[in-house]
Amino acid sequence: MDVRIGERVAIVGPSGAGKSTLLLHLNGVLMGTGLIRIMGQTLEQKNLQQIRKHVGLVFQDPNDQLFCPTVYEDIAFGPMNLGAPEKEIPFRVEKSLSDSGLDQSMRSRTSHHLSLGERKRVALASVLAMDPAILALDEPMSNLDPRNRRHLIELIASLPATLILATHEMELVLALCTRTAVMDRGKIWADGNTRDLLSNADLMHEHGLEVPLSLKKT
Amino acid sequence: MHIPDGFLSTRIAVSLDAISGATILYASRRVKLAASDRLIPVMGVLAAFVFTSQMLNFPIIGGTSGHLVGGALLGILLGPMAGFLTMATVLIAQALFLQDGGLLALGANIFNIGAVTTFVGYGTYSLLGGGKDYGKRITLAGFLAAFLSLIASATCCALQLALSGTIPLRVGLPSMAGYHAMIGIIEGALTAGILSFLQHVRPDLLKTDIKPKLNVVDWMGALILVAIPAAILAIAGSSGLPDPLQRLLVSNAQSSDSAADAQELLSFGRYEDYVVRAGIFLVFIGIVYIAARLARSRRHSP
Amino acid sequence: MRHSFIDRFANLDSPLHLLDARTKLVGFTALIVAVLLIQSGRDFVFFSYFFLIAILAGISQIPLGFIVRRTLTILPFIILATLAAPWRGVAGLGALFLRAILCLIILIILTNTTRFAELLRGLRRLGCPQILASNLGFLYRYLFVLTEEILRMRQARDCRRVGHAALKKELSTLGSMLGTLLVRSFERAERMYNAMLSRGYAGEFPVVDPHRFSWPDLAFLAGIALFVWVTFFGFPVLPA
Repeated sequence: MDVRIGERVAIVGPSGAGKSTLLLHLNGVLMGTGLIRIMGQTLEQKNLQQIRKHVGLVFQDPNDQLFCPTVYEDIAFGPMNLGAPEKEIPFRVEKSLSDSGLDQSMRSRTSHHLSLGERKRVALASVLAMDPAILALDEPMSNLDPRNRRHLIELIASLPATLILATHEMELVLALCTRTAVMDRGKIWADGNTRDLLSNADLMHEHGLEVPLSLKKT
Repeated sequence: MHIPDGFLSTRIAVSLDAISGATILYASRRVKLAASDRLIPVMGVLAAFVFTSQMLNFPIIGGTSGHLVGGALLGILLGPMAGFLTMATVLIAQALFLQDGGLLALGANIFNIGAVTTFVGYGTYSLLGGGKDYGKRITLAGFLAAFLSLIASATCCALQLALSGTIPLRVGLPSMAGYHAMIGIIEGALTAGILSFLQHVRPDLLKTDIKPKLNVVDWMGALILVAIPAAILAIAGSSGLPDPLQRLLVSNAQSSDSAADAQELLSFGRYEDYVVRAGIFLVFIGIVYIAARLARSRRHSP
Repeated sequence: MRHSFIDRFANLDSPLHLLDARTKLVGFTALIVAVLLIQSGRDFVFFSYFFLIAILAGISQIPLGFIVRRTLTILPFIILATLAAPWRGVAGLGALFLRAILCLIILIILTNTTRFAELLRGLRRLGCPQILASNLGFLYRYLFVLTEEILRMRQARDCRRVGHAALKKELSTLGSMLGTLLVRSFERAERMYNAMLSRGYAGEFPVVDPHRFSWPDLAFLAGIALFVWVTFFGFPVLPA
């Protein structure tokens, strides 16, 4: 599977299809057989740090991703690990916070005092702070209420990075991605234009998915 | 069991602070050298787990309630070094957040509730063959490990209080050891229960590579560290210590260091001297043995 | 959301709050050592330390009710332990008791004038090993997550039982709850590790932007040193 710069690709499939596992391979957290090339470099043990600079992975549960005592430290964690100069860190944090639609006053708060929507944004900010060219999101909307969903969708849509979105929510895919790959039982079964694939009822049902309502009306 | 500030003589509190500090540094280095990066988040979350479950009180006989201490469990799950560091974390957090245990007494608390429980727990467990795959054996070994860990810990605590001139041994030891024998049964039951639960659900979390062996050097080390204090106790309980030694052991700002006082602190009074002394000696020999096995099995796991 | 027992007053703005964490750690520890060295019978010294603590408590803006309640919670243990030590006379026992109370209050002030993240940074700067510091950080962060999980499990359990079961059953239920919590903790730790790796973790935890040590810190430490000197050795301050 090839993804070009600036593309927005959705990987859809039922639970257990292997979407999250695939994402974990993209930055070398899991290593398997087979070849992965990111920005021209083959993914291997020795260039993992480099790769992780380019691929930002946002996990499903923000609680797993926010492990520092304060929001500031969580967002600064990435850039500091990548060796950014100390003076630059406050700026990076400030920028990430505003890019994620969060107020600067968040800096000294602790994540357990935040609502789920806020935590998801902080998790996103913590990854954005590393300035990745590729953004991989795993089920970004899980458990969010409608208003927060809308805001988060708008936010993600405004980001310049190449997007890989793993989800089983078809409306989300329609809203954000022009290209979709269908994954099931560890393999990719179809890859193409989002509307074409998603309106193919047989394809959807075969892999435990549904044609989204907005497409059904046509 | 957490000693507040003011109940240990400054000399004892500070020496235990030093011992615990050194042990923390040593354990940190060992864990780092073993390159167990994976363990770092595990230690943190388990520290939160132990802290939280210590807040879960359950009622026992009458109106008292107890909780899971967790030292032996952590030693079994994470190995002695990482287990100790996790318990130390919990104790520091308890002192800072809940003022449970004093600041200067933290060293003593870390030693008693962190080091002794973890090492004795791990040692007993591996001694009893808990490191192998036998179902019932794990549960039994876990029970005994947890039970003994609390008794050893309480004994050390009582000793420290006696040597500080605060609470004489004949009062402190029976009450602490007795109370913790009761609690120890619950701790043992819970630990055994958790271990058997893990066997069914996540057997990969139980280490099965613990192979303790003995070595002359380890015996020597254990002898020096543990048997000598035991000998001092036994002697002191019978004929009394020579004056200079008494002064050495029991000099602090809280009680005078006369021969009579020292004698009184370390004696067992009305309690059947020989039985109690034998009991204590057995506990210490047990700790010696376990320490020796532990020291050897160190080479196999961090 | 009962997170308050740790952090409730750490976000206030008193002069004490603004001091560097290192200053407070060193200063308050020194005070505790000093208190522990007060000999029984020296009533005036005890009184002056109470006076100092009262001033510090006042400056810190921590509500008096909180300090009192905290002290009352720990009081039973202190009383119990004091009663178990019978042979030093009323003055001796009183001194024991007072020392314990003083140290307790000092500790309360220390932890409630310092935000935990800063306390951790201060500890690191003072030489605390990184593993311990990161453990403490994680404990703090996940304490509430786990507490919520436990409360939910407890609720679920309570929904499904009537009255109190036999001790054995209670224990086995407790064992399962703890066991489940433990497994979930392990799984969470695994996911955390993946998240840490994904953000470039390679073995070291970087220390963020330390506080600067400045005049108020120096003044505070000097003040403490002076106070301890005077209460122990009396005037004149300068060596004879």
